[in-house]
Amino acid sequence: MRTFVLVLVATLLAAPVAYASEPHPTLNELEGEVMCPVCGTTLDQSSSPAAQQIKRVIASRIAAGDTKSQIKDRLVAEYGGAILAAPQHKGFGLLAWWLPIAGIIAAAAIVGVGAWRWSRGREPLLAGPPLDPALEARLNDELRRLDD
Amino acid sequence: MSRSARLAAQGLAVALVVGLLGLLVWRVANDNTKGVSQALKDGQHPTAPAFDLSRLDGRGRIDLASLRGKKPIVLDFWASWCVPCIHESKRLEAARKHYGDRVAFIGVDTKDFSGDARRWQRKHGITYPSVHDGSGGVLTKWGGLPIPRIFFVARSGKVVGELVVEEDLPRYLRQIAAS
Repeated sequence: MRTFVLVLVATLLAAPVAYASEPHPTLNELEGEVMCPVCGTTLDQSSSPAAQQIKRVIASRIAAGDTKSQIKDRLVAEYGGAILAAPQHKGFGLLAWWLPIAGIIAAAAIVGVGAWRWSRGREPLLAGPPLDPALEARLNDELRRLDD
Repeated sequence: MSRSARLAAQGLAVALVVGLLGLLVWRVANDNTKGVSQALKDGQHPTAPAFDLSRLDGRGRIDLASLRGKKPIVLDFWASWCVPCIHESKRLEAARKHYGDRVAFIGVDTKDFSGDARRWQRKHGITYPSVHDGSGGVLTKWGGLPIPRIFFVARSGKVVGELVVEEDLPRYLRQIAAS
């Protein structure tokens, strides 16, 4: 319980910090989310002149007070959508986020329904014709004798 | 699941696989990623791939196809972060003084930040018009990185050659100016 309270307090304390970082992103934060247009890696893994140029642009926009989405929008307007490491959560980019989730849900539903139908359709394992009463009585006698 | 429903599901799955396979075959058959540069190396002279892009200086757009049959073109792919591009663009700027009335010099600023590109042009005294190809989509059609890449297009719209050695510049300029 004590641990839970500590985690809760830590989370509540961290939440405003995380929120504050959204409108004022850091260069490090964006370097991992923006691609270098000539090297096929994110900016944080590139020191090419083209990557340096974009880092300077991002730094100047951060200094000017732009939010993360404003900076990303500006980069997309200059370089096209491929400049972002992951599609944006809007417009056509939403498809890239929701299609895999929809696929997983659909696959889980298909597997679930299939498993349910399969389990209902199966014959019981011990199913068979009932034993002859005389034979059953004899079997019980034998088992009783073994127990004794 | 009834037999007809199962058959329909199987048919749909097969159709989906066949469709995806067809898409793959179509994509391979229509692969245009070779680019103008490779076509020239293969001894071909393809028609210049068209583009219609905004000018860096904000004075409208340049539609390459609209120049076909009117003027030969020198096409210069550059970026402000490209150090060797400075030298090549300055050479073209100098050549423009002699051929500017007969040949259209057009720059394609590619994979670049347009603000930096405009500053770069002013700093190095490049006056021929450039368009902004931020995504590099046009550059890909012509051969992709590295840059600089300089192409020579005859009046007919056919690409005559790409500058490989510096000494070829006057030869190509004379050739397209006479086309």
